[in-house]
Amino acid sequence: MPRTVLVAGAGLAGTRAAETLRAEGFEGRVILAGDEPTAPYERPALSKEYLAGTKRERELLLRPAGYWRETAIDLRLGQRVDPVDPIRGTAVLSSGEELEWDALVIATGARPRGLPFPAPRGVHSLRTLADARALREALVPGSRLAVVGGGFVGAEVASTAITLGLEVTMIEALHTPFERTLGPTVGRLLAERYRFHGVDVRVGTTVAGFREDEDGALQAVKLAGGSEVRCNTALVGIGIEPAREIVPDHLDGRPVYTCGDVTASGGHWTSAAAGGASVARRILSLPPAPTQPPFFWSDQFGLRLQLVGDTTHAAAVQIEGGPDTFIARYRDDKGRLVAALAANRPTEVAALRRDLAAPARERALARR
Amino acid sequence: MYRIHIDRSLCSGFGVCAELAPDVVMVGPDGLAEIRTGLTDDPAVLEAADSCPMAAITVAVEEAA
Repeated sequence: MPRTVLVAGAGLAGTRAAETLRAEGFEGRVILAGDEPTAPYERPALSKEYLAGTKRERELLLRPAGYWRETAIDLRLGQRVDPVDPIRGTAVLSSGEELEWDALVIATGARPRGLPFPAPRGVHSLRTLADARALREALVPGSRLAVVGGGFVGAEVASTAITLGLEVTMIEALHTPFERTLGPTVGRLLAERYRFHGVDVRVGTTVAGFREDEDGALQAVKLAGGSEVRCNTALVGIGIEPAREIVPDHLDGRPVYTCGDVTASGGHWTSAAAGGASVARRILSLPPAPTQPPFFWSDQFGLRLQLVGDTTHAAAVQIEGGPDTFIARYRDDKGRLVAALAANRPTEVAALRRDLAAPARERALARR
Repeated sequence: MYRIHIDRSLCSGFGVCAELAPDVVMVGPDGLAEIRTGLTDDPAVLEAADSCPMAAITVAVEEAA
């Protein structure tokens, strides 16, 4: 049993790892260090309620302020952990302080992928609370927003911006928004919905650069082919890349675990939570908890989308219902249900999750 | 006895709690978890709290009076 567990990264995965250690009775030292200055918070709300102004900053906190002291989790905010030395069992915080550890959990997450062009003032990404604050300031009614990337972050920001009274253009390189995650059939349905709400959706369109004025402020997004989208603000939401800087490239020394987005396991909220909890159980030599299918949700243009399962190996999709409320079932090439998307059908999610969990459990039993 | 609390502002309607502890938690008409009874001796609530992806469920152990 380790005496000190250092958790690097205070996002959901890291937080869940620290919490689970305590919940399972670990009495050693738990240090949870995060590079953001804010106590662990609910990241999915940044592009949803926070941006829309319906949730304030303190309502985003995952745990009440007194929680960390009560659970004796040593929370170090504004502290990046870098470098780490698994042979000596040490790590250095950005303050310069050196810590000793017996087990290290790397939950450093991911950062937004950028475009390969210099970004003038007015080009945003959205990952942290600081990003969300800056974007919120920029979403001024009547101004123009270009959203690069038709994924969850882009669609949610576009939805909020339309509600706030901005002119919004969405630029997507593939044939439909969400083509990779939800498939082209659902993607077309969503694109129609965005257009109905006033978004200028440009699919099959790639970005060639930005145009700025002499003061360095964004004027337009330049498209491949020579045309451009005039805008005051651009949000780039083209995916994330894992922040793996401190992940050792060898297995020597004290045990190091990774969980959450740093493992690039898909970046879904429940995988991060389950990953953090499962690492804690491994540290304590506890049997793994039963696995649940991945789950993600998105609020956009009056739709609550809830995705259960993994669409990676989906070969066919079948949609039941109309544009305002539907269920899309994704099956693999053998006809097995691999994922389901519920749009404004919240009460059916539990049953869909059950349908998906059952075969997974059977497979796990068969492997024993 | 276990006292269960659900932070509905964190709940995202995954529904696994209602399956693991059906006597204690249900999924309401809005798709979010609702408590049937706040105080219970059903140990399934511990598993329900563990399985919540949002960590929206907290369980406090109370001594029986």
